[in-house]
Amino acid sequence: MSAYAIAIHGGAGAIPRATLSAAREQRYRAGLEAALDGGYEVLARGGASLDAVAAAVRILEDDPSFNAGRGAALTRDGAAELDAAIMEGRHRRAGAVACVRHVRNPVELARRVMEKSRHVLLVGPGAEEFALEEGFTLVPNHYFRTAERLEQLEHEQRGERVSDLAPAPSQGTVGAVACDAAGNLAAATSTGGLTNKRPGRVGDSPIIGAGTYAQNGVAAVSATGHGEYFIRAVAAHHVCAAVEFRGLTLAQAVHELLHQVLPALGGDGGLIAVGADAQIVMDFSTEGMFRGARDSAGRREIAIY
Amino acid sequence: MSRRKLLGVPGLLWALAALGCAATAGAADHPIAIVIHGGAGVIERSKMTPEREASYRAGLAAALDAGYTVLEQGGSSLDAVIAAVRTMEDDPQFNAGRGAVLDQDGFAVLDAAIMDGNGPRAGAVAAVRHVKNPIELARLVMDKSPHVLLVSEGAEEFALQQGVVLVPESYFIVPRRVQELEEAKRAEALRARAPPVKGTGTVGAVALDRAGNLAAGTSTGGLTNKHRGRVGDSPIIGAGTYANNESCAVSGTGQGEFYIRQVLAYDICAMVYYQHKTLAQAVHEEIHEKLKRTGGEGGVIAMDPSGNIVMDFNSPGMFRGARDSAGRREIGMYGDMQ
Repeated sequence: MSAYAIAIHGGAGAIPRATLSAAREQRYRAGLEAALDGGYEVLARGGASLDAVAAAVRILEDDPSFNAGRGAALTRDGAAELDAAIMEGRHRRAGAVACVRHVRNPVELARRVMEKSRHVLLVGPGAEEFALEEGFTLVPNHYFRTAERLEQLEHEQRGERVSDLAPAPSQGTVGAVACDAAGNLAAATSTGGLTNKRPGRVGDSPIIGAGTYAQNGVAAVSATGHGEYFIRAVAAHHVCAAVEFRGLTLAQAVHELLHQVLPALGGDGGLIAVGADAQIVMDFSTEGMFRGARDSAGRREIAIY
Repeated sequence: MSRRKLLGVPGLLWALAALGCAATAGAADHPIAIVIHGGAGVIERSKMTPEREASYRAGLAAALDAGYTVLEQGGSSLDAVIAAVRTMEDDPQFNAGRGAVLDQDGFAVLDAAIMDGNGPRAGAVAAVRHVKNPIELARLVMDKSPHVLLVSEGAEEFALQQGVVLVPESYFIVPRRVQELEEAKRAEALRARAPPVKGTGTVGAVALDRAGNLAAGTSTGGLTNKHRGRVGDSPIIGAGTYANNESCAVSGTGQGEFYIRQVLAYDICAMVYYQHKTLAQAVHEEIHEKLKRTGGEGGVIAMDPSGNIVMDFNSPGMFRGARDSAGRREIGMYGDMQ
């Protein structure tokens, strides 16, 4: 059996050590561990990377600490508006949804788009219509809304800094990448986007090639950061193209993107990637990135700074 | 990337200054070029009447010349792309703006994107139903918002805030598209599974201006009988639309889901930039090898910073046109490059 591995992120951004209380840090670590182990167990049982990334992201979506699913950042009109994508590297099939307001686990709807429709991306009410056709139970928008996110929105709208309330409220996107024992790669990303965002704004997470990409033999990538820059840079596919066309190592390709290409455009953020050899890369140009990695060689780590 | 740009710009300015002293304004200072498409798909000479062919040729020529005139007057490639795409959006023959195909509910639901190779910067809109010229709204997203992609009602709210006048849904609907939707629904009812996707008439343009800037734009109604909320490759930066002054600019038309999954437009530019392939080689590999391998059908128009034009497709035909300052001016639609 070949090596297998999973990496997850819970967002990158300004995460100053001083502002993160011990209790809060513990909460984030526990959430990351649950997602990491949830995904890893799928791989350890011989499951597919696609199932592993879906499992990990679903756990992060259900955890109100992260900016995806329940606890997502709120738009300027106080609603949660969610985006997600999933991709498998073997046949390079992909599914994504954007601007959904009533789907409990957007990553599961993205997977359904990939498997049950002839499309890749469905947005807005049309995506929710598809969810109903597929037997999903929709939830009211207030399911996603937490007191903490409402407070952040109010602070943002009053023009105050919000970093002392919770780290990186706008960039807490979640994601996972995995390589299974069969060598198949997969990636998934889910987000509520920016706090106080304009309704209808779509970031990089559901854009195949920008925030999410998987290509067997090359890499699986999930990004987090200022989405507009990741879209313009076609960030996730940039990493894959740098490996495939130029023979860069995955670490070099990720480093070039985060520390040369994106800064030249004015953007920052972070990214997790796993290569065909189950090697994990986690890198960021921000102060920190909530992240975790676990592989069949015995590595298991959670980190923030 | 930025280092190369910094080295390249003074050289270009020096060359422009030298030429400016030697000659009056004209094509001599820098090549200008524009290439357009009006969709790829089943376009066969045997099925085309002389009247319809003449009408398509006239529509393509109008868009091509509208864009070229902007470049000739010293305008930017962005303005040229907008002028060409807007002309095709207003022409009911093409699947964009007025005359766009209808979704499962009978509405024209429109997507568009524009990208400036200088920056690069980009703007896109998807699933809008009341915007006469989606390509112009995409431009406003790029120029007037911090965002790249706005969709659905949120995009139309932004349009209103920018002073764009919305039009009723009926503006876009033409009898031919109603008939096509009815046919698609009948075909769907006859089969257990959804019928295969029909070729699309997406429109797009790519241009190079005197300042050496590339731009690309794409606009579409997507697929006939598409699921509500379905977004194809056109508004996805890197998939159906991409421009970068350091590599190339591309606008695609075809089965969008395949274009999204292989990040087709960006992939072409990455082959040009990183593997030093010519634009024609990169496009050929992308369309006739990579896209064909996955079972996808369609075509692209592309241009490199020297103004080299490529129009290629693996479908029976593609509505297209090209014009440049070296005197080339051509319109084509069939597979035999006529």
